[in-house]
Amino acid sequence: MLRVEALSVVRGGRRVVDGVDLALAPGRTLAVIGESGAGKSTLIGAILGLLRPQSGHVAWNGEDLRAVNPSLVMQEPRAAFNPALSLRRSIMEPVRARRLKLPEGRLNRLCTGLELDPDLLDRKPHEVSIGQAQRLGILRALIAGSPLVLFDEPLSALDAVTQKHTANLIAALQSEEGFAALVVTHDLGYAAAHADEVVILRNGRIEEAASAETFFRAPQTDYGCALCEAALALGALERAA
Amino acid sequence: MSLRVKGLSVERAGRTILHQTDLTIGVGERIALVGPSGSGKSTLGHALTDRLGGQSGVVALVSQSPDEALDPLRTLSFHWREAERALGLPADSERQLELLSALGLSNAELTTRPWRWSRGMQQRFVIAMALIGAPELLILDEPTSALDPVIAAATMELVDRHLAASSTAMLLITHDLGLAAKQAERILVLDAGGIVEDAPTAKLIAQPASSAAQALVAHRNWAVLPC
Repeated sequence: MLRVEALSVVRGGRRVVDGVDLALAPGRTLAVIGESGAGKSTLIGAILGLLRPQSGHVAWNGEDLRAVNPSLVMQEPRAAFNPALSLRRSIMEPVRARRLKLPEGRLNRLCTGLELDPDLLDRKPHEVSIGQAQRLGILRALIAGSPLVLFDEPLSALDAVTQKHTANLIAALQSEEGFAALVVTHDLGYAAAHADEVVILRNGRIEEAASAETFFRAPQTDYGCALCEAALALGALERAA
Repeated sequence: MSLRVKGLSVERAGRTILHQTDLTIGVGERIALVGPSGSGKSTLGHALTDRLGGQSGVVALVSQSPDEALDPLRTLSFHWREAERALGLPADSERQLELLSALGLSNAELTTRPWRWSRGMQQRFVIAMALIGAPELLILDEPTSALDPVIAAATMELVDRHLAASSTAMLLITHDLGLAAKQAERILVLDAGGIVEDAPTAKLIAQPASSAAQALVAHRNWAVLPC
């Protein structure tokens, strides 16, 4: 189980993440919703240990999170890969780095789950579509069997239909593999469809935190309501007739 | 008078990006052009702008990112004056105030450079500039996809309100049928460089005929809230 306690990050004299508490159990999905500058990506960096927090604590089952090698799916699918290497080489990097022995057929099984033709692995990042590149990024994050996968705006480069299709594939693999998913996004629609828990982040602080069911039934803060109204106005969500 | 375009097509490097397309747009009509990434939506928007004559004031196009429209080294008032000049119009402070107010920028300081403004303000400024010549058609190419949802919704509401009170027609280019259905009364579906469907919004949602439209309809929202 992931526990983040009183995490604060100061950058350029400003508290970009300010006293954030989170908990996330295996197999569950936590959506961290916030607008540009809310501190979402900084929060991910601090959880992964890429940024040094000013204070606070991050642990997995009470131990150092780094011991379980959490993985990350990045926002820009093609830019997330080394352009000079084959996708296979990049995807297998976490396995090689940790000298893991993959169970027989794991790569092919994940390819099937993500609807990826294994022949794509021998291409370079610029030789696949953006939707394929994003699913290949997810494949890389899952290949080593990390119990925690962080997603940084994983769908924002995709078109509306591909977004929903990709989110469904992630959800199906999650129920098979049982990883915990922490997804930062500005898209409340995604959270309504796929998250178990919702955290609204604003100016680095948690504005509202609730189960997705409770939040979408009745957001408790003005900002939570404004986000819901915006998602309805933009057609990301619909109200039942 | 409605706008009519016949035989619009685009080829690049020997490949047809946009097949022969005919289009009629009524006065003040609100149309959305939807389709997946790579279907040719932006190409159609640019080709239409070229055909109708971007400099003539008949049509104005706003792109996804205000960065493409604003020079970071020039003040916002410089941009405004340039846009007026390009249309052969004299400076008109009354028109400027009216359009900036319509886009929620009545108190904005125009002597600054664009990068001092938020992206949402920049995009609303670009939309206001596009309306200077009271064009017959305003093409908005993914106008809100670089904006946060609350700002995006507020921007579309301001655009709505302004267009409702004018005779300017809108062509909203988007990959998102959910947004298109909220904003447009008629929807064109583009697939692989060709318009495969052209129907009133309610009809398209209820009875999508092409496989491209069926996919868009099936994935138009993320979820339906109980209340």
